[in-house]
Amino acid sequence: MNDGTRRDGQGVFGPVGSAIWAVLGLWPFGRGMIAGHLITMRRFLRTFTVGHGATTRRRGGGDLPVDLWWRRPEHHRGSIVDQDAGTEGLFTVEYPDERLPTRERFRVLPMLLYDEEDGSVRCTSCNICAKVCPPQCIWMVQAKDARGKVVPLPEEFYIDMDVCMNCGLCAEYCPFDAIKMDQNFELSNYERHQSHVYSLQDLLVSSAYYARTHPEAWASAEEQAERDKVARKKEQRLRKAREAASLAPEPEPAGA
Amino acid sequence: MPTPPTTRPEWTIPIDPALQAELEKHVLVTSWDELLGVVDTIYNWGRRSALWPLGFGLACCGIEMICTASSRFDIARFGAEVFRGSPRQADVMIVSGTVTKTMMPMIARLYDQMPEPKYVISMGACASGGGPFKEGYNVVSGIDKFLPVDVYVPGCPPTPQALLNGLIALQRKIDGERLDIPALGRKGNTPWYDPEVDRDIPVPVFGPDLIDVRTLELTAERAAAGLLDAREAALPRPALIPAPRPEAPGPAPDAAAEPSPAPAAEQRAMSKIELIRARSRGEAVPGASAPTSAGKPAARPSKKLKVAPARPSLVWLGDEGLAELASRLDAELGSGTATIVRAALLVPAEKLLDVAFFLRDRNPIRYDYLASLQSVHYEDCIEVNYHLDSTARPGSLIELRVRTAEAEGAGEVPSVISVWPGADFQEREVFDMMGVRFAGHPNLTRILMWEGFAYHPLRKDYLEPYYEAPAKVFPSRIDDGQGQHRRAEELNPFGSNVKIPRSFSGWDRLDPAADVKGAGRMPEGTGVDVQELDTDQFVLSIGPQHPSTHGVFRMNLRVDGETVVGLKPVMGYMHRNHEKIGERNTFLMNFPFTDRLDYFTSMLNNFGYALAVEQLMGDDAKVPERAEYIRVIMAELNRIASHMWSIGFLLNDLGAFFTPALYAIEERELILDLFEWAAGSRMMCNYFRFGGVAFDLPPGWLDRCRAIVSDRLDRKIDELDRLLSENEIFKDRSRGVGLLSREQAIAYSAAGPVLRASNVPYDIRRAAPYSIYDRFDFEVVTGTGCDVYDRYYVRLLEMRESVRILKQALRDLPEGPILPGKKSYQIKVPAGEAYSRVENAKGELGFYVVADGGPTAYRYHVRSPSFINLTALETMCLGHTVADVVGILGSLDIVLGEVDR
Repeated sequence: MNDGTRRDGQGVFGPVGSAIWAVLGLWPFGRGMIAGHLITMRRFLRTFTVGHGATTRRRGGGDLPVDLWWRRPEHHRGSIVDQDAGTEGLFTVEYPDERLPTRERFRVLPMLLYDEEDGSVRCTSCNICAKVCPPQCIWMVQAKDARGKVVPLPEEFYIDMDVCMNCGLCAEYCPFDAIKMDQNFELSNYERHQSHVYSLQDLLVSSAYYARTHPEAWASAEEQAERDKVARKKEQRLRKAREAASLAPEPEPAGA
Repeated sequence: MPTPPTTRPEWTIPIDPALQAELEKHVLVTSWDELLGVVDTIYNWGRRSALWPLGFGLACCGIEMICTASSRFDIARFGAEVFRGSPRQADVMIVSGTVTKTMMPMIARLYDQMPEPKYVISMGACASGGGPFKEGYNVVSGIDKFLPVDVYVPGCPPTPQALLNGLIALQRKIDGERLDIPALGRKGNTPWYDPEVDRDIPVPVFGPDLIDVRTLELTAERAAAGLLDAREAALPRPALIPAPRPEAPGPAPDAAAEPSPAPAAEQRAMSKIELIRARSRGEAVPGASAPTSAGKPAARPSKKLKVAPARPSLVWLGDEGLAELASRLDAELGSGTATIVRAALLVPAEKLLDVAFFLRDRNPIRYDYLASLQSVHYEDCIEVNYHLDSTARPGSLIELRVRTAEAEGAGEVPSVISVWPGADFQEREVFDMMGVRFAGHPNLTRILMWEGFAYHPLRKDYLEPYYEAPAKVFPSRIDDGQGQHRRAEELNPFGSNVKIPRSFSGWDRLDPAADVKGAGRMPEGTGVDVQELDTDQFVLSIGPQHPSTHGVFRMNLRVDGETVVGLKPVMGYMHRNHEKIGERNTFLMNFPFTDRLDYFTSMLNNFGYALAVEQLMGDDAKVPERAEYIRVIMAELNRIASHMWSIGFLLNDLGAFFTPALYAIEERELILDLFEWAAGSRMMCNYFRFGGVAFDLPPGWLDRCRAIVSDRLDRKIDELDRLLSENEIFKDRSRGVGLLSREQAIAYSAAGPVLRASNVPYDIRRAAPYSIYDRFDFEVVTGTGCDVYDRYYVRLLEMRESVRILKQALRDLPEGPILPGKKSYQIKVPAGEAYSRVENAKGELGFYVVADGGPTAYRYHVRSPSFINLTALETMCLGHTVADVVGILGSLDIVLGEVDR
């Protein structure tokens, strides 16, 4: 393959480049380096002129250099920069003024959901997340009622963020859609011994937050079905409670 | 409290109290202290805006740190682009990745060498608290055990944006600093420049374990008290299984009818009984072991034990070929030479060398390539096994087994280094991890741990300091009365990840200044002729934190003037105990750990591991068509991403500082975006599952991917080609440098682009096709130059081939399911043995798995291409200059997560 049939610098600048190259073709040495420099130069110029990165459009408000001063837009606050196949020119995404898009499946740390409407925690402390957790960063205690009977709720739930590997297996295998992966990555802090062990209170977020960050999953058939199932169960329980209540109060006024 | 309106004599009009307060706070200077506060502000502003990080990365997080410095995130915007190679010029240390015990003394030294004021950012879960590798025996449970940490950046790994967030947090912290001015009686809040305080971190010492000298007496006292032994006595220990026995005479078909695993099953039942006994003993100790922790054996009765078909790998010589080979060996070298045991040849140790020479030189199929060498600790022996392949007839893989004494330190096997020099590091690894000695090995020293480490950690009877149970889930997490968060440190009597044998007595001989890790690896002069000047020889240590060693890798060079006359790699600084942890993990749990092997190619690692376990599971994990295509798409995208990085940083090593790297990283970033979109993480994809992939492709993903593949990548590879391939300086630096002839490359078991650049058309995708690679039209790229340049060029052309495969796969991607059945976390893996091979971006990546029918792998070994490619490093570097060594190492494209595992 080292037979010297490699393409040289032609074609980088279109016809103009070919013309330059025709002249350079007479040049006896350093042709590879000159071709490389042309590419670097092209990159440099395009940084200011094309694509999302076109400096004047980005820093100023229009396409002309004068727009840098003339039409200064409001400085972007956390605007999303999505770089696709056509991205050319300046490649920098200026966090924190700009951000990369957060993909729905993007995962950082786990969180536990509670239902927006009635505040009920979805977790039934079935332990599956702790059983699939590869670095074993989940600790949990099942709730018990006064008589010592097991209640399908977590009494305590801890996740050690200094052990968690953000793999998302807990969320993937949770049968109750109770544990999900949060997308918030801005978690820097100055202390770890108190703040990096998340307790139940730290982990709980509302289902509305989840619906906002994970719209596709929220709308998916599986999660919809799971929610319906839970809602039906709740309805049943409520009906039973109502029935019990409607039976119970009757003697009460009689007694009173 | 309402403030009365205040007026000042010099002001004639009363001023609004709120405005007054604002003015006093921000504008007016009313006291000396505030005047100095202005100085503080300026001072802090200067300091926060020019934080110079120390240029060393430890592991996966280090890569994200480099990405943060690259064009997309551009840490230069914060004044922190000047990554310093020397600690003396740096003022912030970003501890990016797993802090291992082997590396810790070096980090302490680096910190001590930094001038004040100095800050530490702990990046990622590992640096903060040990992370997923915390349970490993060579991992420090958090850098704050030694260094004062200013900012923690959680995440595994934190994205570059998260690191920038951490940097901003550090800047905010610096903003709050007040200067200490004794002359004015002003007390600040910074610890800097205080002559009273000795801020140096005492360098920890390598003893039988890593010993923090600040707690030396306490450690000695507790070791002598034998507290750890008492703790371990109460814990369930891993069960050992007996080694597979020879088959009964007569041709046994592939199916499960063979008798050999039956005793295994029986034995497993036996050991379970023993375990139950042990458990009952354990329960006598209050609160020690919990009921479900009975250990490795599954709760199912052993008669149901499923056995996988016996075959060493998916593509191999075959049963008939093996039987023929065995009879040929018996005929040539005397009967009893080779016995077929579970589709591999059991060879007596004393005949190993004869067999090896015969297979390499006289057998019709020349087994010239030692693919992999590993060991298994069985109940009755330690087995060392060898996977051999032939470069002339690829795909005729066979496995040799050699057995030796089980007792610690008693085993001895002849070294095959004279037959296959590529066995060098692998034999040292087996020695280090299992304690098997190799007779005739020229330098049999520990390779991953240090000389003097008290244990051979992969033996089944070695329990890590934080050991809880032979298999996960650990009882402390969920069981009755437990489930309260307890750090692993609380379980260990030393209060940290330390295990010291009770008998250890050399406390007064510990020397913090000794170079325990590198001392045994001083290169001798190797007879290279140096003529130019009458120069002296000296030894130069490069690394482990040197920016050009691609991670925490170290080379001891013997140089004559500037010419290299000897070179010994020193490694293990990134040894995160992947294999030991892999034996505690259930099969599913291991996926995210494989991501962290070669953290550039997590998809390819997932691929290899999935194949190994699928080989055992057989039809239970039959991959649907769509999943196969998705797997190939992900794998090839990942190969391009990895090669892009590799080419960029090779040029960095050769002095083209960062321009090619920045161009190449752009394409990698776009591919990482695709990964994040589909799998949820830029680097740690965790995307494959047994029998398929975790999720289907999200809507819109395919369009983006097609656009990148068909409109962009070719163009960008062309641009890189034009930028670099004809560059005269690059050619001068790389042509004829780092020569590795065809024969040497094969002998040293080199793999991947390194092997192919030496003109060996050996690519696992063709040699032993896996998945659906036989359907695609692509070339196996080879080079004839055998040098750094051709390794570069092979990678470049391979990217083109990957684009070709991608175009075909994206065209043919069918609709359909992505998993064979319902998603389940309970994976039933039949007992058996499997070795899967995939073509990683670095070469042949192999996963060797021994399953005993339980929920975890009995033995789990990774054949890592980066590690084995390093075997040839000395040969390639001799006679070149130090500057060339850096380039040659760059052309090997090692990743330390995979080298040291």
